[in-house]
Amino acid sequence: MDENKPSPIADFVTGAVWLALAVAIIIGAWKMDRLEHLQTTIYTMPGSMAALLGGVIGLMAIILMLRSILAGALAGVLWQKPRWMDHWRLIAVLVLCLGYAIGLVGHGLPFWLGSAIFVAVFVFIFQFADRRRDGTLIRGAAFAIVLGLISSFAIHYAFQDVFLVRLP
Amino acid sequence: MLDGLIAFGNSLAGFMNPASVGYALLASFVGFIIGALPGLTATMGVALMTTLTIKLPSSDALLILICTYVGAIYGGSRSAILLNIPGTPASAASCLDGHALARQGLAGRAMGIATSGSVLGTWIGIIALAFFTPVLGEMALKFGAYEFFWLAVFGVVISGNLTGNDPLKGWMSGFLGLFIAGIGQEAIFAYDRFTFGIHDLSGGISLVPALVGAFGLAEVITVMKDPPRPVQINAFDTVIPKLIDVIKYWRTIIRSGLIGTGIGIIPGVGEDVAAWSSYAAARRASKEKEKFGKGSIEGLMAAETGDNACVPGAVIPVLTLAVPGSAPAAVLLAAMLIHGVNPGPLIMIEAPHFVYDVVAMMFIASVGILIYGLTLTGLLIKILQFPHVLIMPIIFVLCAVGSYAIASRLFDVYVMLAFGVIGFGLRQMNFPMAPLVLGIVLGDLLEKSLRRGLILTDGDLTPFFTRPISFVMFVLVAATVLMNIPAVHRAASLAWANVVGALGRKQGGV
Repeated sequence: MDENKPSPIADFVTGAVWLALAVAIIIGAWKMDRLEHLQTTIYTMPGSMAALLGGVIGLMAIILMLRSILAGALAGVLWQKPRWMDHWRLIAVLVLCLGYAIGLVGHGLPFWLGSAIFVAVFVFIFQFADRRRDGTLIRGAAFAIVLGLISSFAIHYAFQDVFLVRLP
Repeated sequence: MLDGLIAFGNSLAGFMNPASVGYALLASFVGFIIGALPGLTATMGVALMTTLTIKLPSSDALLILICTYVGAIYGGSRSAILLNIPGTPASAASCLDGHALARQGLAGRAMGIATSGSVLGTWIGIIALAFFTPVLGEMALKFGAYEFFWLAVFGVVISGNLTGNDPLKGWMSGFLGLFIAGIGQEAIFAYDRFTFGIHDLSGGISLVPALVGAFGLAEVITVMKDPPRPVQINAFDTVIPKLIDVIKYWRTIIRSGLIGTGIGIIPGVGEDVAAWSSYAAARRASKEKEKFGKGSIEGLMAAETGDNACVPGAVIPVLTLAVPGSAPAAVLLAAMLIHGVNPGPLIMIEAPHFVYDVVAMMFIASVGILIYGLTLTGLLIKILQFPHVLIMPIIFVLCAVGSYAIASRLFDVYVMLAFGVIGFGLRQMNFPMAPLVLGIVLGDLLEKSLRRGLILTDGDLTPFFTRPISFVMFVLVAATVLMNIPAVHRAASLAWANVVGALGRKQGGV
């Protein structure tokens, strides 16, 4: 079980996001066609269930916000400028994964090549600091390329030739 | 009973061909490794294997998925013992005593205890699966729209309550899942809801890409966002289980097996709660309470028996009600539907042999973990020392290609991405994933049942509260929610203490 408890202010902001989502769901459900020409009732209208769920989520979001206020969410809040370099690993993994899945998969580049590039760049970036410290950057780049090629060919072979699954 | 044994024997014989045995051994191995590697979960493993086996015959595909599931839950104990890091959330309880034993130079014995507990726990669960599935299947035939509505609500509420450490956030996850299930065309008028003109959304959000994202990409991000920690592995002695450990703690094994199976049957709760509950029960009943947390064989045995017994237990509601008992069981349910198997109340009428096929698959999986538990420790230690930076990009490529493989459309890759990023954010804020998954699975059932029930009664809500099973479920849901309100909880505890005190005085007086 996860023991890392977020701070009250983090819970407050999260509650606000959930509340905004709940309001958006309710508005979306309200604006939905009620199909009255098809003799719908309140319980067969397409938006009724979403509105109900939006209401429940909104109620829980308000409870979460109130609970975080009682825990001191709004007491002495200081806005700190985010230090992006502290989170470079998170940003890098997000950029790499999104870049691969949105940019390299299914847009004309052969699957094996796109995957090999992704794996090689991923490994090289996350090993960069260690490799530079050890003076093995070129060896690290070569290793990353070889790993990328081997893994992408293995996945290509397993999916397409062994399990007969189509690849993007 | 004899009929059941014959059916089980027939099913088992059906899998005794080179291809099936090969698949089972390979899948148990893959599951074992996935479970042992911290950061890779059973749900992710089963979801990825679902995408890989999409073109295989259903019996082989499901055999592979069940072996992966059982192998992963068992594999988690290895890293718990050797690294003090649970390979899967289900193995968190095993860290306490497993790693304490390892620090005392008894890592091999601890692994032997984990192996014997896991195998025996799976067998206890298998016996329950074989006996209770027909009984529950019969009961489920009495379920109407009202009962199914409360079952869906009960699943989300109890899952939110027991998984994670904040019930409010668990319920929010669950209700978000119920909402997500409603995206796309609704069932009565085929009206597009929340599709924003995106044609691919009309069919709704596919469960497997969503799970691959929430459990695959989210794990990749979680593992990679922090610098790697140095891996320190304890020396180990022989991993062959000792018969004396099994004989001495037979009560613990049976108790933990039954608790694990029972928790498995509860919708959406899963193996980690089963392990912790079995561990807590063993500690309460133990004559050596002081050893718990310091290297108790009994504690480790209880945790490992409980989490593995939960696996067959979690499959019981999948087969009888089409409601998953855990997150990996939700993927298993989706895989069954993809392969044309329709689990639910009619399973014992339409395909009784399938239930025994599943029992046989579980048994084969337990043999798989026994084999690897006794033989693969050396190889596993090498794999555990493998840097995460080399594994995670390959896992993500599998996530992308696996999501695409289900329906050969790029849209599912984007669903995986969205759920991965959202799942990561939710986890960081302490929102558990199991209720979200259960919500996505149960959303359709909830809406259909509510609408059907209201149409049948022309808007009258009374049957939702007056039919016997509905009433019991409503009371359980209401009690679960109310007991989380501190004032109600205090009042209930006080009332309970008074009742117990009064009964004690009465008995003393007599």
